[in-house]
This record gives sequence, structure tokens and C-alpha cells, in this order.
Amino acid sequence: MLEISNVTKQYPTPRGPLTVLSAVSLSLDRGEAAAIMGPSGSGKSTLLYIAGALEPPTAGTVTLGGVNPYTIPEKELAAFRNQSIGFVFQDDCLLPQCSVLENVLVPTLVAKDRAVYPARARELLRQVGLEDRLDHRPAALSGGEKQRVALARALVLRPRLLLCDEPTGNLDEASAEMVAALLLELHAQQATILIVVTHNPALAARFPKRYELRHANLHPAGA
Amino acid sequence: MRTYTLLAHNLTWYWRTNAAVLLGVATATGVLGGAALVGESVRASLRDLVLARLGNTDSIVTRAGFFRQDLAAGTPIIALEGVVDHEAGVEVYGMDTPQVLITAALAQELGAKPGDDILLRIPKPSPIPLESLHGRKDDVGRTIRLTVGQPERPAAGISDLPPFSLRPQQGDVRAVYVPLSRLQRDLNQPGKVNTILVDHASINLKRHYTLADVGLRVRTLEKPGCLSLESDSALIGDAVAAAAGSLGFRIQPILTYLANGIRVGKREIPYSLVTAIDSNLAPAHDDGITLNDWAARELGARVGDPVTLEYYVWRSDARLHTETAPFRVERIVPLAGDAADPNFAPDYPGITESRNLRDWDPPFPLDMTRIRPADEQYWNRYRTTPKAFIRLARGRALWGTRFGSLTSIRVRIQTGLGDFPPSPAFAEALRTALDPARAGLTVVPVRAQSLEAARGATDFGEYFVYFSFFLMVSALLLTGLFFKLGIEQRTREIGVLRSLGFSVSKIRTLFLLEGAVLALAGAVAGVGAALLYGALVLLGLRTWWFDAVGTRLLGLHASVPPLALGAAAGVVTGLASVAWTLRGLRPVTPRALLAGDLGAAWLGRRFRLPAATLAVLLAAASLFAGQTAGFFGAGTLLLVAALLFQSAWFHTRGSQHIGGLVALGLRSVRYRPGRSVLCIGLIASATFVIASLEAFRRDGSPAGAFQLVADSELPIFQNIPPLEGVEFIPFRVHPGDDASCLNLYQPQNPRILAPPPRNPWPLLDSRLPGGTVPAIADANSMTYSLHRKLGEEFELAGVRYRIVAALQDSVFQGELLISEENFLSLFPDSAGYRFFLIRTPPGKADEVARTLTSALADYGFVVQSTAARLASFHKVENTYLSTFRALGGLGLLLGTVGLAAVLMRNVLERRRELALLRAVGYRPRHLFTMVLAENVFLLLMGLATGAVCAALATAPAVFARGGHVPVASLAILLALVAATGIASSSMATAAALRSPLLDALKSE
Repeated sequence: MLEISNVTKQYPTPRGPLTVLSAVSLSLDRGEAAAIMGPSGSGKSTLLYIAGALEPPTAGTVTLGGVNPYTIPEKELAAFRNQSIGFVFQDDCLLPQCSVLENVLVPTLVAKDRAVYPARARELLRQVGLEDRLDHRPAALSGGEKQRVALARALVLRPRLLLCDEPTGNLDEASAEMVAALLLELHAQQATILIVVTHNPALAARFPKRYELRHANLHPAGA
Repeated sequence: MRTYTLLAHNLTWYWRTNAAVLLGVATATGVLGGAALVGESVRASLRDLVLARLGNTDSIVTRAGFFRQDLAAGTPIIALEGVVDHEAGVEVYGMDTPQVLITAALAQELGAKPGDDILLRIPKPSPIPLESLHGRKDDVGRTIRLTVGQPERPAAGISDLPPFSLRPQQGDVRAVYVPLSRLQRDLNQPGKVNTILVDHASINLKRHYTLADVGLRVRTLEKPGCLSLESDSALIGDAVAAAAGSLGFRIQPILTYLANGIRVGKREIPYSLVTAIDSNLAPAHDDGITLNDWAARELGARVGDPVTLEYYVWRSDARLHTETAPFRVERIVPLAGDAADPNFAPDYPGITESRNLRDWDPPFPLDMTRIRPADEQYWNRYRTTPKAFIRLARGRALWGTRFGSLTSIRVRIQTGLGDFPPSPAFAEALRTALDPARAGLTVVPVRAQSLEAARGATDFGEYFVYFSFFLMVSALLLTGLFFKLGIEQRTREIGVLRSLGFSVSKIRTLFLLEGAVLALAGAVAGVGAALLYGALVLLGLRTWWFDAVGTRLLGLHASVPPLALGAAAGVVTGLASVAWTLRGLRPVTPRALLAGDLGAAWLGRRFRLPAATLAVLLAAASLFAGQTAGFFGAGTLLLVAALLFQSAWFHTRGSQHIGGLVALGLRSVRYRPGRSVLCIGLIASATFVIASLEAFRRDGSPAGAFQLVADSELPIFQNIPPLEGVEFIPFRVHPGDDASCLNLYQPQNPRILAPPPRNPWPLLDSRLPGGTVPAIADANSMTYSLHRKLGEEFELAGVRYRIVAALQDSVFQGELLISEENFLSLFPDSAGYRFFLIRTPPGKADEVARTLTSALADYGFVVQSTAARLASFHKVENTYLSTFRALGGLGLLLGTVGLAAVLMRNVLERRRELALLRAVGYRPRHLFTMVLAENVFLLLMGLATGAVCAALATAPAVFARGGHVPVASLAILLALVAATGIASSSMATAAALRSPLLDALKSE
């Protein structure tokens, strides 16, 4: 279970601290999915990064499966992220020097039992329709294909939490549709906790839980 | 997928950046390895050169005088130094050659070819010490006319012999090789030589030498019934006397001297021999004198009458003095028996063989008018029989010299009655007891000494490492810069890895592994670069910088240690440079990384100013640590401090008003402060080297009190022609190795000079404990050739010296100065003066030089202006500076490359920004101005930083040299550097802006 409790995030500026999130709370169980919408600069990505143990909150707590990642040492935190959290970014963030399969396997380099993952990586790439592009470099892929690789990479270690930051933001409509469908399908298959930050109402509409970030607070969509 | 797979992908994918890093490491390796290789190559070349010139010679048996040529198994030669057709300092070898040959270098100087006649002037051998009464000071040289022979292989040069030389020198050999028999004949030394070349080190001289080889002979005197030990020099040295005394025989030391007159009242006997001896002939008292009855009669002397002896003595001021000594007649003995022995006197050339007194031809003035018929009759009848006897101690006090104070030693069997030992038995006993070295016959391990000397006075490797240090730092800064650029390029990748669960240490390890591979590959490539760099530097030393080394015979000697040193240093420093660049990863959040922000630099802002201040304080302290250490230490610290200050400044939030394109461009300096500081550091390092070397350059030569200096091949006594208003300060010279910067070989036995007693250096006369000899050296020679410090004690040829003072920029760069008293004690065989400081009336220096050169041509008298001699030293120094300045130039090249790389990278990163500016109406020249302003700013900051640090670091040395700073040449140099930098920046800017910027907007 992901538990975000009273999370506040402030950034220091010359004119005093800028509050991006103010006492935000969110709770999601295994298998649940939520979409977070909101205007640019509202703090959506910040909330996502805080949830993903990438950026510590100014106040409040985050726990995933009862573990508060911000209380553990850096090495353990890295392992925690590796094992428990998957990310998909707006920009695919693939390593241009690695092939498609290798990109999916990059997280496994610092994981245990590495031997089991190549088969899973192939399977995931088959599921996202890229089984015939395993040896291609990212430069040879379209934007949608890159995001599908990023999705496979995010899921290769079976994370409990999958966080997506505008996963379709850079894609055309057809590609975005395909990526969204895959995202939800794989989420359902793997029963992860899924949070997607998006500007895309169509994508958000596919999620059972939808929130909006306004004035540093999280509100149910339409409320 | 394994870690090494990712590593391999990283290395190949980012090959451009990695190649730049690799090249940086290769450059650092090449510079360091190459510098060390230069040192090794110079040493090896010097070693090869000296060994080739020595041939098979391992040791030499040598003596100041001549000895049997078959004394030892080896090659007998006569080794001298002489003058050939007014060219002084020529090595002269009498050796096994069928004809006279000269080396190509000498032939070129003389313009001589086979068949030409040359005039060779060499020292005339004389067993009688020149500075004794009977030494012939007016006949010190001999001139020989020689015809240059035709070598068997003319194409090989005028001499087809290998240029044999016993003298370690890097320059061409200037030598003439004369058939040994010819030289022996001309020097009247048949069957004798002064050197034997031996091809092995173990020579048992003591077994083979004879007394004749050290100038001694044992004569059997039947009449008094004894042996007489005598010397070719007419004087028996203290060592020989001590050895003779230690044999257990009854010995009778004798000193016979020539009195110009024996006077009683108004009556006088001229030119009489007086013998000092402790025998039954001697008086009982020191002031007593025994006259033979002939002398008493001629003088009308009775027992108790006062007697005055008048005689000549040759004092250490190289003048003949007439002195007198008072005596009282104590005994009058008949001219018979022991008193009628003519063998008390040694052989005096020009005297003892004369038939008449008037035929005497001594090397001192005689007043023939004083000679009476009775004196001639005495000479005819009694020859060298002494007319008077005094006590030995008194005689030694009056007439003892540094060469000895006995003329002969008589030997009788201690227990016998009138019997004496057989001559061979005594000779063998003396020979066995006497250390031949104490008698001047020595074995010199020339090969070992030459190899020691070949280690070099100047460690070129060390100097090149010193001056390549900044070049190496530049290369490493460039390595760091390129690696940093590579990391910055991959910031988002690092962010992704962090988000995927890679720990900071894992990521750092990954990059370190990349860095290690690059450092290793760079080091391997650097070995090749080191060979190339070393070869280029040596080529430079043989050609453009010839004046620094004075030889074209230096070659590259590739050896493992310097290359391994360079490679190891390249790996370590390259890796350190990479690690340094990675130090800032930790504080950056993954989110910041994903946003492309590598975060703050390594040193927190609050630490920069204190660190810079500390560096300034350390720099100030190191300025007092001696010139060289101070220069390098202070220079480095000042540069670090300046860069820290600038870093602190760039990290402050800029709030200045953007008043124009230039100001907008300068804002970018703060965009990547680390890059900006690195660029400044690169330019500053190179500028520091160039500017500081310019400050060390010596262009003018101070005139000094003496306008001329002169060296004489043959010793000069009082035969300098008197010239009106011209003052001579003569120096005694003990020949030895040139200790100046003109000699690359480490001087094993530097030339030693002694000024006359009244000189401006009273420290030379100080008494030091343990018999240590106070010495003065030129400061440069002391530091760089002799590798000594002021006050340091050291031993040369068994003598302990202490440097009590150092002369700044003096004409005495090739030698050590000691007092005349110490000189005569250490080198009693040295005679006359061979070095002169000459003060001339204003404007007369050239005329005086011409007159002296002409008048003293037979002595090999070479006159040079003091300014010219100093300039010859400065020329070497300045050439070294040019050499090292070239390294600074290479550093500047690296700096410019770094600046261009940063410029390119900045433009690439800011393409969207620049495209936007184009979109809002900026023209390409606006962008050019903006980008160029940033780079010119960095360039000028680098120049200013380097120049100011150089000025501060060199200040002590500049003040020590009289505060002369070549401002004009320095300003021109910096202006040239600035112009070159601006030109290259302009080209790089133009190239960087040539890409279609608006595409950057379209891709949005």
C-alpha cells in the first residue's frame, strides 16, 4: 500500500519559500490506479517524484508497503527504488548506447538474481509488441515505441509502484492510445499501484481514480 | 546484459568525448614520460659519447711529469693541452698514429686541410718546478711545426681516427693527434710518456713502478761512502723524505742552496753554494755558520765574525725576491774530506754542467761583475763544493719550498762503519715504502669518472618535468574538462539510472571504470606520445635550442623506466582527474539530474574563499623557501587561489544590469562556473609559464669593474707587457672540469682558481675546523652544476671544501675560488697564473685585448670582454628559457583547445536559447558578439591570472637580479597570446554558430 500523508514541498527562492504541495495526502492499495491532472507548475511531477523516493518532501511522510524510503540510507534507498518502484517519464530517457533489450535490462544490473530477468524482459517486450526490435537502438524507434520500451523497463523488476510522468505527452494520438492501453493492461496484469500524471483528459478518463492538483492541494477530479 | 556490456556501450557510444579524454590522458602521459625520457636520453647520449671517445680505456696511469712508457701494460700516450695556430684549449695527444691528424672540428676552426702546416705550442716539460728558484719561467712552452696528414678515408673527415678524448665534453673534440715518437723527440722525452691508457681497472702500480718513474734516482757516492737519493726536480718532497726516513737506514737530509753572496764586512764571495746539513760540518747553533778555509780566507773571516748570506727566493707572489740572513762564523773547516764534497749539490740545469762561472745560464739574473778570478778558480777546481754549512733546520726555514725542502738524502747502514747498502736494495726498499700516488703517479679511473660525469650536471628530465608540469596540469585539466563535459552530456542518463535504482556509488563506479579504461588506453597511447615528445624535444635541443646544450650528438634513448613512469602517472592522474570530476554527483537529486542539472561544484561556496585565502598564505610562505621551490610552489598555490576566488565569484548570483550584447554574453560565464574556471585555469597555467620565463630572461650584461677576462694556456709569471692604465688581477688555476652551464657533464673535479692574497673575498682566508677549505662559487654553478648549497661541505679528490659565499651572475661560473694559501698547499705543482681580470681605461678595452692577444700569443692568451663571457652564460640560460617557453606554448595550445571545446559545448547546449534569440530578431553577428564576449572574457581572465601569478611568484628572483623586468617584451608576448586566443575563439565561435539553430526550435 502507498500512503502519502500530509506531504508538503517547498522550494527556497530569494523571496522566501515557494510552496508547491501543501499537506497532500493520498492512499492507494495494490492494484489501484490513479491519474493526477493539473495545470503546468501545479506540482504534479513533484508529487510523483516524492512518491517515487526521488525527491524528499519538506514535511509529511511517504510509505510504500510500510517502508518510508526517506528514512533509509542512500544505498538501501537505491535498492528500494530498484526493487519497488518503476518509472516512465515524458521523455523516454532510454540509454542511446544500449539496444532495446539492454535498455529494459538496465535496472537488473543492480538487482539480485539477474539470471531470471532476460526472459522476463523478452516477454515484456513481446507484450508491448517489440519482440522483433530487441537489438535495435533507441534512435531507430518511434516515440511510441520508445515509450513502450520505457514501460517494459519500468516493469521488468515487478515493482509494486509504477509512476508515469506524462507518458503520452510527446506522442501522437495513435501512439498515445497504444501506450495508454498497454500501461493499463500491464498494470492490471501485474497488480501494481499505478499513478499517472497527465495533461491528457482522455488518458485520465481511463483511470478509476482521478485527482487534480490545484493551489498545492490534491482534489478529486471534478470536485 | 552485464555491467561490462553497458561499459563497453558507453565507451563506444560516447566515443568522441571519450577520445578527447583519452587524448588528454595521452598528452599528460606523453608530456611526463617524454620529459623523463629527455633526461634519460641526455644522460645516455652523454654516456655513449664519452665511452665512444674513451674507446677501450678504463683507467689511465698519469703523472704531471714523464715516466717510462712501458711502466704498465697499456697504450702509452702523451696527453697535453696546447695552442694550435692561436686556437687555445686544444687537446694534444701523442699516440700511435703514423701521421699528424686533427679532428674535423679543429680543422674547421683552423681552416686546415691535409698537407697544411700548423704550429703547435705545448707546455715544455721540466722536472724543475717552475715556481722554484731554478724553474725556467721564461721558457714554458715549445712550438712544433706539424704537417696535417691525409686520412685513409678522407670522406670520414679530416681525421679517420675515432675522436679520442679523455675529457668528458659534449661538444666536438678539438684535438690534434701526433705520432708518439715525434712528440717524444720534440719534447726530449725519449721512451717516456705522461699517460698510459689501460683497458682494465685493476692496476698494481706499486709492483711495477720504479723510482725513476716518479723522478727519483739513487746515486752511489764512493768517496763519502754512501747512497744519495736525489730528484729530477732538484727537490725532494716531504712524502719521499718521510718514506726514506721510515726504512730504518741512517739517513742524512741535505739542502744545498745558492747564495748570491757570502758577506763579511765589506768583503764578499758571489754565487756560492751553501749546504744545510746536520753533520759534523754543521755549526752547533741555528745562527752559526761553518766556512771552509777557502771562503774564510777570501772573506778574511774569523770565528765569531758576523756573516750575511744574500740569496734569491721565489715567493708565492710569483716574484723573485732578494733576501738576506745573518749568521756568525762558528767554525772554519779545511776544504778536505767531507767538506770537499761537490755532490752535496743537485744538478741545476744551466749551472752544474758549466765549465766556468761566467757560463752559468740560470733562470734568474746574475751580476757577472761580481765574479772574481778567484771565484772562477774555485769553480774550476772544486765545482759545486759548498763554501759554507749551516744547520738543516735553519736552511729549511730560509729556503724550503712547497715542492720540498731537501735537495738530497744520503743513506748509510745504521750499524756499519763506512759501509752503505747496495743501491738496488735501498731503491727497492724505498720503492716499496713509497706510495706512488704520494709521489704524483696515480691511476685515474677515467671510465668510472666519466660515467659518473655523464649523469649530467643538469638533470634535463627534472627540468623538463618541472616545466612540463604546467603543461601536464593543462592536459589533466583538459581531461577533466572533457570528462566533465561528457558527464554533463549524460546528466539525464545518470538521473534515469538513479531512478532505476542505481546507487550513487554504483554510478560512480561505472564512470570510474569508464575513466579507468580511458586512462589506461590514454596511458598506452601516451607512451607513443612520450616517444614522439622526447624525440621532438631532443630534435629541438640539437637544432633550435643548440645553445642550451652545445652539441648535436644527443639522441633518443627509449628506456622502460621513464615511459613506465609516464604511463603510471598518466593512469593515476587521469583517474584522479575523472574521480575529481565525479565528486559532485552525490548532492544532486535524481530529479535534478533528470532535469539536466548536475548541481553545485565540488567545493561548497562557503569553503572557496577560506581555501583561496589559505592558498594565498601558503604561496606567500613558499616564496621564502628558495627561488626554485618558491617559484614553483608559490606559482601553483597562487594559481589555485586565484581560481578559487574566481570560482567563488562566478558562483555568486549575478545581478548586474544587462546593458548590451556583451553583458548578456558575460552572463553565460556563470552558466557553467566550473567550465569557466577550468578554461581560465588552462589559459592561466600556460600564461604563467610563458610570463614567468620571460621574467627570468637576461638580455643585458652588466659591465662590472673589469672590462676584460683572459685565459692563458701556458702559465704566465711576470711577463705581461706593461700597459698604461691597465690593471691585471692574476689568478692561479688548477685545471679541471668546467662547472658552468656550458658543460653538460657533471663536473667531477671542477676547475679551481685562486685570486692573489689581496682580494675582495676575506671569507676565503677564514680558518675552518678540520682543515676544510673555504670556497666561493657562482650561485648558478653552485646550484645547478655542483648541486650544492651555501654553507654546504663536500669533498673533491680527497679535499673537503665548504662554500662560504656565492657570487651572483659572475664570470666565475666555471670554477671554484679558494685562497692562494690553500691553493698552493693543495696544488703545489701548479705554477704561475692562467686567468686574469683586466681593468682598462675607458674605451680602451678592444685595443688592450688586441695588444695582449698579440703579445702573449705564444702562451695561448685568449682575451674576451667580460660582457661577452657573461653573455655566453646568459645565452645558455636564455635558450633553456626558450625551450621551456615552447612548453608553455604547447600548454597554451591545450588551453585554446579547451576553450574552443567549451565554447562549442556551450553553444550546443544553448542552441534552443540562441535559436529563440534568432527567432526574436537577433542577427548572427549579435549571437557571435555574445558568444565571443564570453570567450574573450575567459581568455583575458586566464591571461591576467597567469600574468599576475607569474609576477608574484617571480618577484623574489627578479629582485635578486636587480629588479629588471622585461616589461616591453612581456607585454608584446601577452598581447600576441591574447590576439592568438581571440582569433582562435572567433573561428571556434563562427564554426559553432554555423549549424542551423532554428532546427532546435522546430524540434520542440
